[in-house]
Amino acid sequence: MAGFLILLTIGIPWLGALVVWWVGDRHPKVEHTLAVIFSVVAGAVALGLVSYNNFAEALHQPVGGAFGDFTFIPDGLGVFLAAVATVIGSLAVIFSVNYMSGEIGLGRYYAYVLLFIGAMAGLVLTSNFLLLFAFWEITALCSYALISFHNDDPKAVKGGIKALIMTQVGGIGLLVGSLIIYSHTGSFDIRYFLTNYENVPYVALTVVAYCFLIAAAAKSAQFPFQTWLPDAMEAPTPISALIHAATMVNAGVYLLARFYPAFEYIPYWRTAVIVVGVLSALMAALMALVGTDLKRVLAYSTISQLGFMVYAIGVGGIFSSQFHLLSHSIFKALLFLGAGAVIHTVGTRDMTKMGGLGKTMPFVRTVFVIGGLALSGIPILNGFWSKELILESGLAEGPIGSYIIMLIVSGLTALYTFRCMWMVFYGKPRSELHSHDAPLAMGISLALLAVGTLFSWLLAGPFNRMLSMTLPTHVINLKEGTAILGDVLLEPSTYLALLVIGLGIAAWRWRKSLQGVVKFLGVFGEEAAAGFGFEDLNQGIVKLVQSGAEGLRITQTGLLSWNVLAIAVGLAIVLVFLALGA
Amino acid sequence: MTLSIPMIMLLVVAGVVAIGFYGLIISRNLIKVVIAMQILVKGSLLALVLAGRTTGKVNLGQSMALTVIIADTIVAVIALALAVQIRRYFGTLDLKSLTTLRR
Amino acid sequence: MLYILIAVGLGIWICAIQAIRVHRLLTSAIWLAGASALVALMIYLLDAPEVAVIELSVGAGLVTVLFVFAINIAGEEELAIIPVLPKPLVIILIVVNAVLLIVLNLPAFGVELPPVLGGQFTKTMWQERGLDILLQIVLIYSGVLGVLGLLSEKKIHPGEEEQA
Repeated sequence: MAGFLILLTIGIPWLGALVVWWVGDRHPKVEHTLAVIFSVVAGAVALGLVSYNNFAEALHQPVGGAFGDFTFIPDGLGVFLAAVATVIGSLAVIFSVNYMSGEIGLGRYYAYVLLFIGAMAGLVLTSNFLLLFAFWEITALCSYALISFHNDDPKAVKGGIKALIMTQVGGIGLLVGSLIIYSHTGSFDIRYFLTNYENVPYVALTVVAYCFLIAAAAKSAQFPFQTWLPDAMEAPTPISALIHAATMVNAGVYLLARFYPAFEYIPYWRTAVIVVGVLSALMAALMALVGTDLKRVLAYSTISQLGFMVYAIGVGGIFSSQFHLLSHSIFKALLFLGAGAVIHTVGTRDMTKMGGLGKTMPFVRTVFVIGGLALSGIPILNGFWSKELILESGLAEGPIGSYIIMLIVSGLTALYTFRCMWMVFYGKPRSELHSHDAPLAMGISLALLAVGTLFSWLLAGPFNRMLSMTLPTHVINLKEGTAILGDVLLEPSTYLALLVIGLGIAAWRWRKSLQGVVKFLGVFGEEAAAGFGFEDLNQGIVKLVQSGAEGLRITQTGLLSWNVLAIAVGLAIVLVFLALGA
Repeated sequence: MTLSIPMIMLLVVAGVVAIGFYGLIISRNLIKVVIAMQILVKGSLLALVLAGRTTGKVNLGQSMALTVIIADTIVAVIALALAVQIRRYFGTLDLKSLTTLRR
Repeated sequence: MLYILIAVGLGIWICAIQAIRVHRLLTSAIWLAGASALVALMIYLLDAPEVAVIELSVGAGLVTVLFVFAINIAGEEELAIIPVLPKPLVIILIVVNAVLLIVLNLPAFGVELPPVLGGQFTKTMWQERGLDILLQIVLIYSGVLGVLGLLSEKKIHPGEEEQA
């Protein structure tokens, strides 16, 4: 039964992609309806799959031995991420019914979205390295195609190509790591590797660990690969909500969480993970503080929160990182979709032109504020519980310096969130903007996500139990039901964090009196706005590669004879090597 | 080096593949290129059947040979359709004048 | 048996070389047909009758008809005889490759051919290689679609004309 459900979870969105594309652009209403139906059905199936979670293989398809067997395991990590991907996917699709009404090329859009949803579900459910890589690449392809959806806009195309290239560099790390594992263990099975990782020689395992870290950092837009996510905000907002907040960027965190037991004891690996997480969180929070583009601020916030999750994995808190992943997917998707509702009506992404929109868009203001409070870590909302769990594990098991920095970042998070909310919804309008409240379909998605933000922390107990029962290779402390949440309330670190968050909010409230501090940090702010020099680094690398390619252009003559000659020469070289006894 | 059946077959296969490769590099007419590719594939067919015989997996070798026949026929069909269209639009089948890459 | 194989092998070589060498395309296609027929004969002599039959009908029959058809539509062309790359270089390269291939494969071929148990081919083909057959059918269909797409005129939808 679980195997059948897994097939449906991946197959229904893919079937939907083909059907919506085939319907064609002359029937947009049919396309909208079909896309919504397919994604909602997929979401329902995935939620049903959650109850079938098990540590045993559910689907085992031998395909002739060269690539291992195609296996799928519905364990806790996998089913929860699959449910997140499909449910938030369906909400984003429902949102798109209003957001993308009147656009051309809808068939292409929905086909790629559904393809992405299916591929993401497959990525987290599979237990075969090559399938993992294949699904990884499919999600990268869909992300590129959807970022560049408005392909007559050069900025969108540039953003898409940048995202594609940077995530592909990560993909190389994943492939190389998988092949090294295969050559030492002889198997492509992830479960087999996790139980037998001692058989891999030490040096190879270190290389694999760092390759996977690079892959995860590139996919999740962590340091030093964080520049693609803000530029990917050229995508239509439902795509930003789905792909760049709730699902694809989670793939990197998922990778680290899945392979943590094997790499735990590699020297400096955990330190490297902590450094990557802390640096990303800090830099992104600073960049969010000075940002003026609404979606870019949210993008920086995503990078920062992913930094929290990566940091949590580095200190060993697998459960807390995954729980924060769950909370973050929900409230970040809420924030992005709310921002989408705002951008759709006022027509601009520049926050300096907005202001006082709360009066004309009360519903959007309410849900956005709920999401913002969750992001800041205000009690009762789901962000509070998960962030406190992370900080707790950080205090208990990580270096104290990183804990202090993460505490400061929590305060900065509250600061920039309140700044963002205030600039958009409160105060006096800074320019004449047309605005009205969200239409029905957008309203439905926003409302459902807001409900999720308010209540998803109640799932902490069952979620913990599911993870500890179905992940035999991970060490997860099993705590029943509300005991986890009770722990959070009893820990002194919780109150310390609340204090820092309160400081952050206070800093915003009394910002006028802090003008001196702001001027002093002004230089810092310019650096932050320019991305701390990483943009220039990217440009430099691009120029280098292009000049190299220009130089190599003489080898492309366009004559078939030269190409076949090259094949023959290559064959001769290979044969010589073989003859010499390789 | 005894003159047994496998030896002769090996020489034949090597020769046919070599001739096919030579034709592929040296031909200037697009259709000649397709003909050369066909010769190359015939050589690989022989090699597959031969390999099946010598390793004992006879059926596998023959099934692969059948797959190769069908695949290579389709390739020839599409290549010829392309050649016909190229002749219509470019007016020539000469490889040297067909390239539009800047040099 | 040995001498028949040598003769057929020599025949294949000659037909192949002639197919490359002659200048008229139609003659080249005829030589290719001859080579295909001889290859089919050789496959039959190697105890694989089903493959031989298919190779004869498809390779020597269907492909030759296709070539003749395409050559008639495309037309013969008088070309300069100077090849793009120098002939000696190519010949040396090819000979090096062939010699290396033979040398590498020598140990495996020192023995006599093992006897073959006949008649299992169709069973293998359909049961163990079922996926292959399916993919071949897909391939044939895509080939047909490809040719139709390549050789047809573009149709204009009436709706698009109004929007343009």
